[in-house]
Amino acid sequence: MITYIVRRLFQLVIVLIGVTIITFVIMFAIPGDPARQLAGKNATPERIAAIRLQLGLDKPVPVQYFKFVGRLIHGDLGESYQLQRPVTQMIRENAPNTIQLALAAVLIELLGIPLGIYSALRQYTFWDTTLTTAALIIWGIPVFVLGLFMQWFFGLKLNLLPLIGAGDNVLWVIPANYNSFASLILPAVTLGLIEVAYISYMQRAAMLEVIRSDYIRTARAKGLSERKVVMKHAFKNAIIPVMTIAGIDLGALMGGAILTETVFARPGIGLMIYQAIGARDLPVVAGGVLFATLIYVFANLFVDLGYAWVDPRIRLEG
Amino acid sequence: MPDRDTSGKQATEDLTISTVSERDLIEDKLVGRKPLGLWADTWRRLKRNHLAVVGLCIVVVFLAIGMTEEIGNFTPNGYLAPYDPNATNYEISPRGLGSPPSWSHPFGADYLGRDVFSRTLVATRISMLVGVIAVAIALIIGLILGPISGYYGGWVDSVIMRTADVFFAFPYILFVLLIMTVLGPGLWNVFMAIGILSWATYARLNRGSVLSVKAMEYVEAARAQGASDLRIIFRHVLPNTMAPVYVAIAMGIGGAIVTEAALSFLGIGIQPPNASWGKMISDYLSYLAAGSWWMLTFPSVFLTVTVFGFISFGNGLRDATDPKLKE
Repeated sequence: MITYIVRRLFQLVIVLIGVTIITFVIMFAIPGDPARQLAGKNATPERIAAIRLQLGLDKPVPVQYFKFVGRLIHGDLGESYQLQRPVTQMIRENAPNTIQLALAAVLIELLGIPLGIYSALRQYTFWDTTLTTAALIIWGIPVFVLGLFMQWFFGLKLNLLPLIGAGDNVLWVIPANYNSFASLILPAVTLGLIEVAYISYMQRAAMLEVIRSDYIRTARAKGLSERKVVMKHAFKNAIIPVMTIAGIDLGALMGGAILTETVFARPGIGLMIYQAIGARDLPVVAGGVLFATLIYVFANLFVDLGYAWVDPRIRLEG
Repeated sequence: MPDRDTSGKQATEDLTISTVSERDLIEDKLVGRKPLGLWADTWRRLKRNHLAVVGLCIVVVFLAIGMTEEIGNFTPNGYLAPYDPNATNYEISPRGLGSPPSWSHPFGADYLGRDVFSRTLVATRISMLVGVIAVAIALIIGLILGPISGYYGGWVDSVIMRTADVFFAFPYILFVLLIMTVLGPGLWNVFMAIGILSWATYARLNRGSVLSVKAMEYVEAARAQGASDLRIIFRHVLPNTMAPVYVAIAMGIGGAIVTEAALSFLGIGIQPPNASWGKMISDYLSYLAAGSWWMLTFPSVFLTVTVFGFISFGNGLRDATDPKLKE
């Protein structure tokens, strides 16, 4: 297990180096004059010159890169030229709402597991066909279209839940009062529903593969009850691939959160990025993307370690 | 949303080289007909899957609409739709709220009196173009790097695959957004951003298949005959590793279409006056509360149906070519 952890951490370091190089290239190497890009459309020549000096853009490219990484390590992501505020501070303010939304969506997403298993155990029955068809249709709905529909139906038509906003968060990511909880429901269900569809589809496929395997036949032949066969023998093996998929899927969840927040005008990293895109506020967009990428990378690290912990084949291979 | 990649970690496990299943072989023997090839076998399997067939029909219909509009783009009018998609007509948009569907305007008219049906049709062309061209760019890069990586192994493999890891490390749509913020909006930038950021899926998928194929005897036979590495890779190995790639193409086109719609929805994709489903949705958003449902509904439905079509066809194709799922 320790060898595996070391190998995985080594891989993480390489990925982090790669991520910073790509972000650096996008921010500093592609545009004609990075200082001008980072200073914004209406910046004065003095401000551009100041930024050039501050970021060391007169130095050779490798030096610029190491300075960039140095600033990142110190949590310095530059300054929004639109709001003239440090990007790190903006992220700190907006992160709790986004993390809250993502966690709620992950909780909803877990519903896909029992649904997928149920489908697989009743393959080709009416309910299986219905669930699978519904899963494929929902999976195909773009998250912002579903969000608009939810907003229209539950917010506008039925007037049940708040249309927009996030309420106020007293306890970091925990929706501590009714207002905050009520405004979480629609965005979380929007984001979660698409993931439920996806996870249940994948869980069905994984379960179908497992219940056709020899050891399940053996378990049945031993005369075990169907409940025991499913819960004790099939479930554990069918859940493993889905866990990995769910880990990789966090990336889609992050992207979906941006769009969901935009539709529901819900303060968060997504809305922050959206507002920055309109003004082409590059430091904010890059900072937000980098933040989401870090969360994604570390979440996947934990998923992989958990995966290796339950499945010895992973940690022993290669 | 299909813009996710699950292929990576599974690629090495999935030896998805299609073989004709035993049951079918026995059936062939009994009936006395010739055994089927890969495609005929896949088709037979696909036909049994109703969802996949529905998906295929949707894909064909929308590609046909896209193609028609592409031809229309070269006609003197610049479009092949009942009305000019960008022509405003305030007579049919009293109070700036458009007009509901009627015989002359089946999808209604928008707040500027533009025909929603014509706009939706023209937008189909943009979506199909994005899907096809972006995936083509990704495929070209992926199908060069993937086989090279798998065939040579060693440090070449390490460099290419670690680079792929880095591309996978970014949440996809955020990565596209970042690139688009630097490049600026526009159709070609959308092609490039989506295409360049999606190569890793195809490269990984193909590398996995190449690894499993390269140990096979016919590759050894080709080498013994003195075939060059390039010839072996692109002539002997690649064609036999394509089944999972076709699945990824179908899913990838759906993913690219939804990504373009999201970009345009966020205001950084296709620029006016060009119509795009995502742009139409964001433009017409505020008219829903005023009761003008038709503006928003039709582009949303077109987008959803198209993506559903590509996903369910892709899933069906996967089931049909996956030897593990054959009874």
